[in-house]
Amino acid sequence: MADLQERKIKDAQMRATINQKLVETGERERLKELLRTRLVECGWRDQLKAHCKDIVQQKGLEHVTVDDLVAEITPKGRALVPDNVKKELLQRIRTFLSQQSNI
Amino acid sequence: MSVHGCQHLSAFKAAKGTDPFRIIYSYFIACPSADARRIKAKSCVCHTCRQPTLRLHACMYCIYFGCYGAKHIHEHAKSKKHNLAIDLTYGTVICFSCEDYVYDKDLEDIARSFSQKPSLNLVNLKDPFSSWEPSEDELQLLKKNPKRRKVDAKSTVGLRGLINLGNTCFMNCIVQALTHTPILRDFFLADRHTCQMPGESKQCLVCEMARLFQEFYSGICTPHIPYKLLHLVWTNARHLAGYEQQDAHEFLIAALDVLHRHCKGTNGMSCSNPHLCNCIIDQIFTGGLQSDVTCKQCNNVSTTIDPIWDISLDLGPGPPAFSSHSTPSPGGTGFTNSPGNYEPTSLLECLKRFTRPEHLGSSAKIKCGKCHCYQESTKQLTMKKLPVVACFHLKRFEHSTGYHKKISTFVSFPDELDMTPFMSSSRNDNNGFSNQIIQDMPTSLSCDNKYSLFAVVNHCGTIEVGHYTCYIRLHKDQWFKCDDHMITKATITEVLNSEGYLLFYHKQILEYE
Repeated sequence: MADLQERKIKDAQMRATINQKLVETGERERLKELLRTRLVECGWRDQLKAHCKDIVQQKGLEHVTVDDLVAEITPKGRALVPDNVKKELLQRIRTFLSQQSNI
Repeated sequence: MSVHGCQHLSAFKAAKGTDPFRIIYSYFIACPSADARRIKAKSCVCHTCRQPTLRLHACMYCIYFGCYGAKHIHEHAKSKKHNLAIDLTYGTVICFSCEDYVYDKDLEDIARSFSQKPSLNLVNLKDPFSSWEPSEDELQLLKKNPKRRKVDAKSTVGLRGLINLGNTCFMNCIVQALTHTPILRDFFLADRHTCQMPGESKQCLVCEMARLFQEFYSGICTPHIPYKLLHLVWTNARHLAGYEQQDAHEFLIAALDVLHRHCKGTNGMSCSNPHLCNCIIDQIFTGGLQSDVTCKQCNNVSTTIDPIWDISLDLGPGPPAFSSHSTPSPGGTGFTNSPGNYEPTSLLECLKRFTRPEHLGSSAKIKCGKCHCYQESTKQLTMKKLPVVACFHLKRFEHSTGYHKKISTFVSFPDELDMTPFMSSSRNDNNGFSNQIIQDMPTSLSCDNKYSLFAVVNHCGTIEVGHYTCYIRLHKDQWFKCDDHMITKATITEVLNSEGYLLFYHKQILEYE
C-alpha cells in the first residue's frame, strides 16, 4: 500500500513538472489555441453554445449561474470531442515531451 | 446580467480601483514575456493543496490562490471575508456574496487591451480566436433586416436547380460542384472578392460567381437561369461557345482559368507563371505534381514540379501497377487474363498506375545532366503538394484520329481518400515504391492527406449523345442528385455506385499557415 502512495506522489510530481514546462515554453498556450481552432472547426463550440442557450432558457436568465452551466455541459462537452482531435493533441504533447531533455 | 458588476465589486473598485485586477491579469493571465511565464509556471498552484489544479482563482483582496473544485477558494473567501476572486483561466471575476460570476465593463476593457497586445507573438500565436462581433455598419444592416434564417442539419439552403439553356448540362454540373465546394462557398459568402475591373463588374466572372452564390443561398427554391454566367464564359472562352454539347472537364478547366485571370484583372500578369499567384482559385485548386526522372546509368534524379488543377487518370488497358507482379491474383483486383493488359477498376488502382515508375524505352533516351550521356531512364510522378480541393478526371473519352470512344467501365471510388501513398514523401529513394504499404510516420500526421468526397459529375450516354448529371453533398451525410432543374435526394450508396467522371474531394483538415 505504501508503494501505491509513493506512486501517487510521483505521478503528481510528474504532472506538476510537465505542466510547468508547458507553461514556461508557451506550449500550453499554443496547444490551447490549436484545440480551440479544432473545436470551432468541427462545430463543437456551436453545439455547446446552443445547448447553453437551451439551459439558460429553461432555468431563466435571472436565476442561472455559471456553476449550473458548467455542471450541465461538462459531461456533454467531454463526450462530444471528436477522436481525431484527441489524437492530434495527444500527438503534439508527446512530440513536445520527447523534445524536452530534462524530464 | 448587467455589465456593471455587482454592488460588492463596485464597492471594491471605489476603495481599491482597478489596479489589483490589472496586476493579477498581467502577471498570470496575459503573460507578455518569457520571464512572466516562468513566474506563472512556478506560482500557479493552490496555496492550500499545492496542486496546479484547473479553475484556479486568485483572491482580489490578498495574495492567495485557491482551486475551485476542492472549494479551497470558497473557504478562503468565507474565512477571510474576501468575497471577490479572479478565475485565472479566463480572467472573469466571481463574487461569493452574489454566488456567481459578475461582468464589469471597466474590467472587460482592461482584459481586452491585454489580449490585443502584439506580445502574444512571443509565443508564436497569430490572431488567436475571438468570437465575431458586428461592426457599426453591420449593426445597422442587421437592424434594418430583421429576418433571420437558422441553418441546421436539416436545412436545404444552397440547393437550387439550374435551367438547361440548350445542351448546357455540362456547365450546370460544374456550377453545382463549385457552389457546393465548402471553402469556395465560405470565400464568396464572406464577401472576400474585390473586383479587379472597377466599373465593369458585369464583365468580371468572379463577380458573376459571387452573384451566383447569392442566388443559390438566397433560399429561393425555383430553378435559376444562369444566362449571364453562360454569356460571360462564352465571351472569355471562345472555344466553348455554341450550343453543342461540350466536355464538362474542359469547361471546369476553362472556368477556373478565367476566374483565375479575373482575380488578377484583365490587364494583369501575362501568364508567364500563371500559377504562382495567390488568388483564391490557386489557393484552393492548385497542387504540385512532381516528376522525377532517374538516369539508369548514374542514378541521378532530375526533379521538376508542375502546378496542376486536376489529376487526369487513364482508364483502359495498359501495363499493370506492379512491374514485378507476374501472376495475376485471383478475384477482383482488376487484372484481366493477360498480364500486359490491366484495366483499373478503382480510383486507387488508377492512382497507383499514375504514380508507378515508368521505364522510358530506348526510343526516349534523355541526356542526363550529371553523367552527360544519353541513357534510358525511369520517370515517376508523385504529388508534392496537395490542393485543398482535388479534382480527379477519369479519362473516359478517347479522341484518337477517326476514333471516338467512351470507356464506360465502372470505376469504384471511396468517399474518404488518403493520398499519403501517392505523395512525393512516400517515394523510396531507389526508383519508386518498393511496396504499397502506407508507412507509419510518427512525426507527421497522416490525417493531413485525408480527403472527403463532396461532388461527383457523371456522364450517361455515348460520346455522340449524352447527358451530364451530378451528385453533391450537403452537410456531412446528405447527398442530392442535380439533373439540371431537378434536385432529388440521393443516398451515398447511389453516389458510390454511379459511373463517375469527375470526382471532387475536399481536404478534411486545413492547416493554417
